[in-house]
Amino acid sequence: MIKHTPDTDLALYCAADLPVWRRTRVWLHVRACDACRARMQSFHADRRQRLGGAEDLPEGLDWDRLSAEMTANIHLGLAAGECVAPRSRRASRQAQRQAQLPAWKRATEGLAGGWGIAWRPAALVAGLVVVVSAAWWLNVPRADTEALSRVMHGIAHGGRRSVLAEDPPGPVIEATSAGVELRENGGALQVSQSGLHPLTVSVSVQGSASAHYIDTDTGQVTITSVYAQ
Amino acid sequence: MRSKAKLGGFTAALLAASLGAGALSAQTLSRKIDLGKDSPVTLVSDSWGDSNVTPRGGAYLVDVHAALTLRNSGQRRIRSVTLAVYAQEVTPGGKGSVSVPSLDVAPGETFSVRVDMPLLRPLGAAAGGPAVEVRLDGVLFDDLSFFGPDQLHSQRTMTLWEMEARRDRKYFKQVLETAGTGGLQKLMLDSLARQADRSQPGVQMVRGRSTNTELEKEVQFAFLDVPESPVEASSGTSRIAGNEARAPRFDVHNRSNRAVKYLEIGWIVKDQQGREFLAASMPAELSLAPNQQGPVAQDAALRFSERIAIQSMAGFVSGVEFADGTYWIPSRAALDDPRLRDLVAPSPEEQRLTQLYRKKGLVALAYELKKF
Repeated sequence: MIKHTPDTDLALYCAADLPVWRRTRVWLHVRACDACRARMQSFHADRRQRLGGAEDLPEGLDWDRLSAEMTANIHLGLAAGECVAPRSRRASRQAQRQAQLPAWKRATEGLAGGWGIAWRPAALVAGLVVVVSAAWWLNVPRADTEALSRVMHGIAHGGRRSVLAEDPPGPVIEATSAGVELRENGGALQVSQSGLHPLTVSVSVQGSASAHYIDTDTGQVTITSVYAQ
Repeated sequence: MRSKAKLGGFTAALLAASLGAGALSAQTLSRKIDLGKDSPVTLVSDSWGDSNVTPRGGAYLVDVHAALTLRNSGQRRIRSVTLAVYAQEVTPGGKGSVSVPSLDVAPGETFSVRVDMPLLRPLGAAAGGPAVEVRLDGVLFDDLSFFGPDQLHSQRTMTLWEMEARRDRKYFKQVLETAGTGGLQKLMLDSLARQADRSQPGVQMVRGRSTNTELEKEVQFAFLDVPESPVEASSGTSRIAGNEARAPRFDVHNRSNRAVKYLEIGWIVKDQQGREFLAASMPAELSLAPNQQGPVAQDAALRFSERIAIQSMAGFVSGVEFADGTYWIPSRAALDDPRLRDLVAPSPEEQRLTQLYRKKGLVALAYELKKF
């Protein structure tokens, strides 16, 4: 049984649009098959007639504008189709479209064009950052934050400076012109007297430090001491 | 649209929860005030302001801000009071004290004491007990008699302050009598200038060995001789590495005819720029018979800022307690030594009087000196 050449191939053969190998095959077939040769000749005639008619297009036709309008109509149609398509199909189409893009373009679309999908996790992360920051600020003492900062600083410097190199083990009494404080394990207890500045501070090697304050209204001297043990 | 609303609500709920957690963690402070049985001071009122307890790691941070009004219920005038503040007695950071020297509270009069102090209390400590307890550690009267449990050795400290106060008041009164208000004014201005110029570089103190890994060297103390001092210090050394000095030890000689049971030595440090400052006091409990010599050692380390490299050290005897309960402190003449004058901090009484002069003027100061 002879297998005839399909009409699509014959039409493409007439327009010389078939690849070389398939064109050779069609040519060999139409030489031997009267029916296919007759259909091919009808396609040729039809093509000649349409090409002759194309010369009668209206004057002043703007091909560029026509092309832009057609493209816009096609996009509109696709978008309308997306709106009525089921969710899963939309997602799979989006994924297909993403997969067809080169890697660099996928990355830039993720940042700019892909905002419609990426804003939710970004907003969630931003919200969590705000919540964690607020909770930290409200609940964690400044000294702990400083201690953590020292540890992170040490890690960032390749562990060359340990926390112990800054604070010896055991309680440390510190006296500065700002007051006295007791430090241990990175935490600090700083003594301050209602915002007053100490007149003098002193350290005793037996394990205590004192700060002298004076009340400017009453003139009363108050000496506050902390003990390491 | 609905997902936006859900996300906003979730974030707001988390934020509200975290804000709520911060507010709830600052609990109201449970407290106790114990002035002792038969105490010469009684509580008139107490206000705890914004004192609170906050969980912090494995402990509670007890932030005490209290104003206590006390009455002298005894028969003698009160000169000093020390209150011990406990959140936990044996934990570092669990106790502190507040002292008010230079008082003159007649029987029946009231006076106030402010307590501003952060303390630590372990999470598991004495559940149900007060988070903070204020106890009377001692009261010193105008006849130098003392009342109180004295767990923080406040009797000695307050007696030394009172002796310094008497010395300074006597000196200022003398100047007022001999040189008039002009002489007193010059004295006050000198004192204020010294207080402003007195350098107090930061110093850390740790008991035992510190962590400095630099090579140590042994450096001799140069002792400043205070001629009138009943105890003479000599042959002192300390180990120095960079900005750290540790393990001071020295010999002391009791050149008085009374036994000594306690002494304090001022530890002076000089850096490479030639600046000197009083770094710490070295107290020592000892038993030194008349004309006897003995060693004193402290297992402690002082560390200064990295900018300070210790060049040399000096010391001077700044206070002595005899076995009979009497005390010695340097005289004003001894403290006028050019080397000591700028190093030794003024007494609490001198600080109070200079502030009185600055705020209310010479007439108020002269009136105050004539009171007692």
